Amino acid sequence: MKNNHNITLKDINKSYQKGHNTVVVHDDFTLTIKSGEFVALMGPSGLGKSTLLHLMGGLDQPTSGEVIIGTQRIDNLKQAQLTQWRAENIGFVFQSHHLLPVLSAQGNVELPLALTSLNKQQRKEHASYALHLMGMSERASHYPKELSGGQEQRVAIARAIVSDPHILLCDEPTGNLDRKTADEILALLTQLNRDFGKTIVMVTHDKKAADYASRVINLESYIVEQSHITPSEYL
Amino acid sequence: MNLLLLVWRNSFRKKVRFWLTCTSVMVAFFLFTTLSGVNHALTASVSSSNQYRLMTSHKISLTQSLPINYQQKIAALAGVKQVSYASWFGGYFQNEKNQLPVTAVDHNNYFDLFTEYNIPKDHLLQWQKTRTGIVIGQALADKYGWNIGDKVPLSSSIWLNKSGSFNWSFTVSAIYQTSKHSGTDNKIFFQHAYFDKGRAYAKNSMSWLSTEITETANVNDVIIAIDNLFMHANNPTRTTTEQVFIKEQTQQFVDMAMVIKLVVIAVFFTLLLIVCNTMIQTIHERNNESAIMKALGFSSTTLIQGIYLESLLLLGLGAFTGSMLAYLLITVIGQRFNEFLPGISIVPSHYLMVFALVNIAAAFCSAFPAVAIKRIVISETLGGQA
Repeated sequence: MKNNHNITLKDINKSYQKGHNTVVVHDDFTLTIKSGEFVALMGPSGLGKSTLLHLMGGLDQPTSGEVIIGTQRIDNLKQAQLTQWRAENIGFVFQSHHLLPVLSAQGNVELPLALTSLNKQQRKEHASYALHLMGMSERASHYPKELSGGQEQRVAIARAIVSDPHILLCDEPTGNLDRKTADEILALLTQLNRDFGKTIVMVTHDKKAADYASRVINLESYIVEQSHITPSEYL
Repeated sequence: MNLLLLVWRNSFRKKVRFWLTCTSVMVAFFLFTTLSGVNHALTASVSSSNQYRLMTSHKISLTQSLPINYQQKIAALAGVKQVSYASWFGGYFQNEKNQLPVTAVDHNNYFDLFTEYNIPKDHLLQWQKTRTGIVIGQALADKYGWNIGDKVPLSSSIWLNKSGSFNWSFTVSAIYQTSKHSGTDNKIFFQHAYFDKGRAYAKNSMSWLSTEITETANVNDVIIAIDNLFMHANNPTRTTTEQVFIKEQTQQFVDMAMVIKLVVIAVFFTLLLIVCNTMIQTIHERNNESAIMKALGFSSTTLIQGIYLESLLLLGLGAFTGSMLAYLLITVIGQRFNEFLPGISIVPSHYLMVFALVNIAAAFCSAFPAVAIKRIVISETLGGQA
């Protein structure tokens, strides 16, 4: 994955069992996101945007089809392998920040580094740098309950990038924020894409948020289009 | 930030719940350790008794006497090495509150059989030569400040002497010591010959016989041979091993210990449920946090280790505090009630048992949360199916 960080979803079928009924979320879905892109996935609720994100991040597995990140096919990895792969390659930002309340901002950002071979000092330096990038250096010792919603989300982004993953998967990262704060967060994501070459896939309902992306995929129309062409034509 | 710090912070995030649960653990281990100390006193003499020694008493009751000539008859049996005898004196010093375990013994060979009493040779010889001499335990010597040559008046609530008094005069001739934990340094022995000559009645009799058998002898054969010898006599006998004899004497206490043991088991079981419930509640509250940690790359095994360490901290802290409080209590009780129930102490192996129990309980209490952690589906917990 040194040079190629493309995200490829190929002939993806995904269905859930709800009681006696099978709910089909994706049917032969194919999508490629190139390395370094900032893609916004839009569309009405229930169309499977978050499911796609979870498939790309190895949080979920397709019923059939292939998920390929760079040169690594991840849909057939075992849970333990997926866990390690996620730690090395993916950063997640969720709508809710999910910071651990017992740790300070610094502690929360250092958390993923506990899985690496970095020593205490190195972990501290990496976390401090990530917080600095997010403009949160002065709040490093603050606990989540002492931070505003926007600040919490900045810390969550710092946590997502601290281990320097190539791909950031953001599920409604500004869903809980006011416009001004949302714009600040989106500007930070744009900066990470532009200055650090991070591939960003963002699920959002917000058209203004989608404007920050280099490519917007409206899932509803994309699926209709896709049904008229073969996957090989796409790839 | 490391995992241990996270475990520490997580443990104390609900302080009231943590300390209440910790207190319940503390109480359980306090009871367990205290019982262990008392139980040691009840069973110490049983476990330390010599396997080659037999005890013979009257078939009806220990309070019935046996003729002293039984000693020679038993000594003539095959497999018998030597025989000694003793009688219960039941004495006290100055007033009846100061009860002392005083026994009249055959001065010729009693301490040849009971080698656990360490008496300097010159002291023993001195005692054997002194008709009114007594052998006292080091603990008694320390308590009353008695030294060799001191005159000690003792009274009996059972035995009247020829002068019509319950008061008997003795001279300290020897001081014995036993191993540190046996708790039997508080006894007094004196010559049976002096007792027999001095008492007003029941002459030429004693309470029980102690028989040492040869190493090659069959214990059961010798027991049967002794009892058969006196089967048709006026005073039939009942012979057992010393272990059985002592066990029977302490049976009432051992039964009490069994009751306490059952209570402690019940307390432990309840405690286990409480801690288990606490840990399940804990992991339920942190479902999202566990999911985000999994998303960040932490394996289920790492998260389960964290829960195990939290259980271990909770149980370990409670067990340590409870055991230490019990240790202090047992030390005080041991000093105050040494004469009534000697040997109250906690053996080092008990702490190993506590350590093992804490680990087993921690593993048990982590089992249900572990299943819950394993079952977390990150995508369902953290994200909607948009």
